[in-house]
Amino acid sequence: MYLDFAATTPTDEHVIDVMTALMRVDEFGNASAVHAAGIRNRRHIDTAAEQLGTLVGAPADTLVWTSGATESNNLAIQGVAQQRAHRGKHLISMATEHKAVTDTFRALDKSGFEVTWLPPAENGVLELEVLAAALRDETQLVSVMHVNNETGVIQDIEAIGALCRERGIAFHCDIAQSAGKLPLNLASLPIDLASMTAHKMYGPVGIGALYVAKNAQIHLQPLMHGGRQQGGLRPGTLPTPLIAGFGAAADIAAARMASDHATLSALRDRLWAGIQTVAGIRLNGDLAVSYPGLLNVSVADVEGESLLLALEPLLVATGSACNALNQEPSAVLRAMGRSDLEAQSAIRFSLGRTTTAAHIDVAVERYCHAVAWLRKMAPEAAA
Amino acid sequence: MSGDPYSADVRALFGDPAHVGALSGSVSERRDDQGVTVQLFADLDGDRLAKLQFLAWGCPHLIAACEGFCRANEGAPLTSLRAFKAADFMQTLGIPIQKTARIIVLEDVAKALGAKLAAASTD
Repeated sequence: MYLDFAATTPTDEHVIDVMTALMRVDEFGNASAVHAAGIRNRRHIDTAAEQLGTLVGAPADTLVWTSGATESNNLAIQGVAQQRAHRGKHLISMATEHKAVTDTFRALDKSGFEVTWLPPAENGVLELEVLAAALRDETQLVSVMHVNNETGVIQDIEAIGALCRERGIAFHCDIAQSAGKLPLNLASLPIDLASMTAHKMYGPVGIGALYVAKNAQIHLQPLMHGGRQQGGLRPGTLPTPLIAGFGAAADIAAARMASDHATLSALRDRLWAGIQTVAGIRLNGDLAVSYPGLLNVSVADVEGESLLLALEPLLVATGSACNALNQEPSAVLRAMGRSDLEAQSAIRFSLGRTTTAAHIDVAVERYCHAVAWLRKMAPEAAA
Repeated sequence: MSGDPYSADVRALFGDPAHVGALSGSVSERRDDQGVTVQLFADLDGDRLAKLQFLAWGCPHLIAACEGFCRANEGAPLTSLRAFKAADFMQTLGIPIQKTARIIVLEDVAKALGAKLAAASTD
């Protein structure tokens, strides 16, 4: 039973139809070519840009196609840091960001930049005064995600962006977990750069986009060289079927957003109501400021890896960042003040379009049973 | 890319640990080390291990090893406890080398229990 939609979503059947049609012999073509097949493919890409732009409130010509959010994050963060390095080398982010962001900042930190890592409040939210206190004259970039991929906590990106814009600091936002799920109007927000990906919103894996605001004084440095596609910023033959699939997924997401949100809210509440009576359980996050498709909980006196295996056949994610052989506790939960053991026992349930109330009831039963079973197995006062 | 971190034996033993629980009136030994806890309980019948049970807090590999240990040694001579070698058992069950320190805790408990039982039986 799949409850790991924050990791990836199944590709929508309509999206598959759109993509496969474009792979066939009468539709394929290189969008850079000047002949009819090229023109036809460019039109598909233009349509997809309009569809995605409509979903996130961005003009089509502000979107750069990438391989996914990881590349978008790298392009944005490295691109701004290098372009503005002559003005200052101070950068700001949070320990609760996705690894695609934190590892990129760490790489910059090793190459002469200085990175300030902002701590969240206990509920995972960034308090504005914490950001304000960290800003310096030489700060060039702030990167804070919209919806956290482990806890679902939503940051106030409008207020964060406004603070950055007042100081002339570039603001990058990873919206991989919110695009297609929460209403967004990027063009009206003080956001300079936003990373997104198709496979978190029922599109195909392998295609993403970076929003680069028109009014931003940003001229990104490309990460790769080898062609003039997308103004040289991201060279390489554009994958028309994937891009068209992303566009189709954006269309569907826009049409379903309100109803999906309502359904997921009810399912998430049902899940929390079912497991919150387990002794020693602790919510990681804050339901009042969270995307409803995610619920992250820790539980006392239970070993995380055994809990994850005992929960099978539920397919959920653990609070451990790595795998069964390297149980590094989640940096996100540690930054939120959880102990190693609490972080290590964390389970992330992430719900999606195919999740039903019956699935939630099974998940509740399985979770309660697994915790009780492992506790019965443990010696007194273990761990 | 690695595959399933759990062998079929580990999955089977973890999923059906029939030897879980304290044995009242038995001899027991416990260790808290390497981030895990293992407690073994044994009843002797002459010089044979009539009953072996365990309690454990740790990863699935450790729990599977405890269950496998009890299954393998129940009915065996008392001397089998002191002869137990974690490395051999890990190979048999397909437990990855990264878990060695945890499985050695089981070996330490088994040997200590063996020594305690031997001392008790000669009193």
